[in-house]
Amino acid sequence: MNIIVCMKQVIDLEQIRIKPKTREPVIEGLPFLFGDFEKCALEEAVRIKEKHGGKVTALAVGSPKLRDTIKEALAIGADEAIILIEPIFQDSDAMGSARVIAKAIEKVGEYDLILLGDSSADEYSGEIPPRIAELLDLPQVGFVREIEVMTDNDQMTDTKKVRVVRDMEDALEVVEMALPAVVGVTSELNTPRLAPLSAILKASRKPLNEWGPDDIGATADELGPKALVVEVLSNLAPIQDRKGINYQDVEEGVAEVVKALQQEGVLTQ
Amino acid sequence: MEFRLSAEQELFKRMIREYCEKNVEPRSREMDDKEDGIPDEIIKGLADLGVFGIVIPEKYGGSAPEGEEMAYANIAVQELGRAEMSMALPVYTLLCLGWGFLIAKYGTEQLKEEVLPRVAAGEYFTGIATTEPGGGSDIANIQTSGVYKDGKFIVNGEKVYISGVLEAIEQREGGHITLIRTDPGAGHRGFTFIFIPAKLPGISYSVYEDIGRMALSTGGLAYKDVEVPEHYVLGEVNRGFYLNMEGFNLARILVSAACVGMAEKALEISRDYVKQRVLFGRPLAKFEGISFEIADDHAKLEQVKLYLQYTAWAADTIYKEPGFITQRELSRMVSICKMIAPKLGAEIAQRCMTHLGAFSYTKECSLGRGLRGILSYVVGAEGGYHIQKLIIAREFIGDEAVPYR
Repeated sequence: MNIIVCMKQVIDLEQIRIKPKTREPVIEGLPFLFGDFEKCALEEAVRIKEKHGGKVTALAVGSPKLRDTIKEALAIGADEAIILIEPIFQDSDAMGSARVIAKAIEKVGEYDLILLGDSSADEYSGEIPPRIAELLDLPQVGFVREIEVMTDNDQMTDTKKVRVVRDMEDALEVVEMALPAVVGVTSELNTPRLAPLSAILKASRKPLNEWGPDDIGATADELGPKALVVEVLSNLAPIQDRKGINYQDVEEGVAEVVKALQQEGVLTQ
Repeated sequence: MEFRLSAEQELFKRMIREYCEKNVEPRSREMDDKEDGIPDEIIKGLADLGVFGIVIPEKYGGSAPEGEEMAYANIAVQELGRAEMSMALPVYTLLCLGWGFLIAKYGTEQLKEEVLPRVAAGEYFTGIATTEPGGGSDIANIQTSGVYKDGKFIVNGEKVYISGVLEAIEQREGGHITLIRTDPGAGHRGFTFIFIPAKLPGISYSVYEDIGRMALSTGGLAYKDVEVPEHYVLGEVNRGFYLNMEGFNLARILVSAACVGMAEKALEISRDYVKQRVLFGRPLAKFEGISFEIADDHAKLEQVKLYLQYTAWAADTIYKEPGFITQRELSRMVSICKMIAPKLGAEIAQRCMTHLGAFSYTKECSLGRGLRGILSYVVGAEGGYHIQKLIIAREFIGDEAVPYR
């Protein structure tokens, strides 16, 4: 089972400060990490490899900081990594990024499963999984909290399959899908392991490939500023306002809070 | 010149922090209150991350980043100091690392094979037993004797204020590297450094009631005709004094790391608190009496932290480039760290307590644990505050400043 895990480095969200006056986030100079969903996707890929064999390739688009960030993926258990760090890739919106990722996946060629976080920890738009599935013409399921590789392969066609459980909030949906396929996962999937020192030290010895636009056959028209289809209008922290009202008695306090929230229009009557 | 951590070091640091935030910090109060040692699962978890194997070559079950052991150990112990501010866990760990490193460097093959894989796995404690009832700072005056007979040293004497007595004998298993006098007439050239497994026949122990770092025991060890096989000797017979000094250099770097970690966390606790605590209509942080104090402490701590990183690098470099500097020169640098870090850390913890007010005097708040724990390293433990000054004066001023010559 060959698995490609698409990973996005995001700034350490816990370290973001908000400018009190303008509500703008201060993100310059913050360290990069992988988001929880990505880590779960990678963890699952490594577990599947440990059980069924195969190869795990980590694939990421982002700033040159990825040269460092990607080492975590290699330390956790990816066999190889591909990073796309040229500036043209970073100026893309979700559509452009999906195009880059899809082209890189096509270049990798041999894969059974594409795993990725259902949404990124920073922008949380959830666009990438369906977009790359569409570009690659593959089946796709999102909000996945369980993955099981089915070993009773269809003898006639030798098709590999997975059974996944998708979180529908009020219900769980079980889906069987033929591979290759794209699966977007949530953090309910597993608890990602931490990389021990021995694996961290060995990570640098694993293959780390840097691919540019020519490597994946992408042109400037398809990428970056020229290909934007999404316009960001505003990116500000929500307005916070403290009323500073204290209630001593819990019973009475709850009723008062509900009444106050109704008056504010936060709760409907 | 390179000051930043490598990507691997950053990653290792984050792995330990993530582990500690989830598994250590939430239990730090319980550990101090129970006075029942460090939970096995925490030691096991850290061993799985490779923390106890930092100084141990792969051949003996470790994962040493060769030539960068002290740099990595410094990072790890700082993180543990942040997470467990009473310093029991960081000190337990640094003793295994500092003295384990010395075993890896100077132990016999048999000793290394016997002990190191178990240290790396977190099953076995290695500490140091130098101090005696007559004192610890004047090491040349150590009385515990070792008489060679039939491939063994027969050891008699008493050691006091030894960390990890219960850990080595009851809670887990382990032993202490001990300085013994093997040539009584030869002054400091008559000592041998020998590892003594704590369960050997003839060893008895007592446990003291400390005022801090309650999850790590301190006690005394008495040796009555203890037969220690000669393969437990580190380095050469009668050359133990120098090895002890070398080991102190390693351990003192890591003690300083524990103190820096604790102090850094204390300042962050204070920083977060003064931003949200409103007094007279404005956050505490708006009062310069508070914010300037925090700024001062932050500045001082950053200096120590950087100098400590430099010293850890120097300790690694000595082994990579023999003759780079002498152990004595290193000891001057190490003493600068060990002189400043515990005292500054104690002062920071205390000042932070004044920022948090009465809450900091409860056990709910970790600052009090930090203050109680770090005082151990101001008053003694791997060489007290004044002994560090003596070393710095000796190396900087010269023999004119040495009271024992």
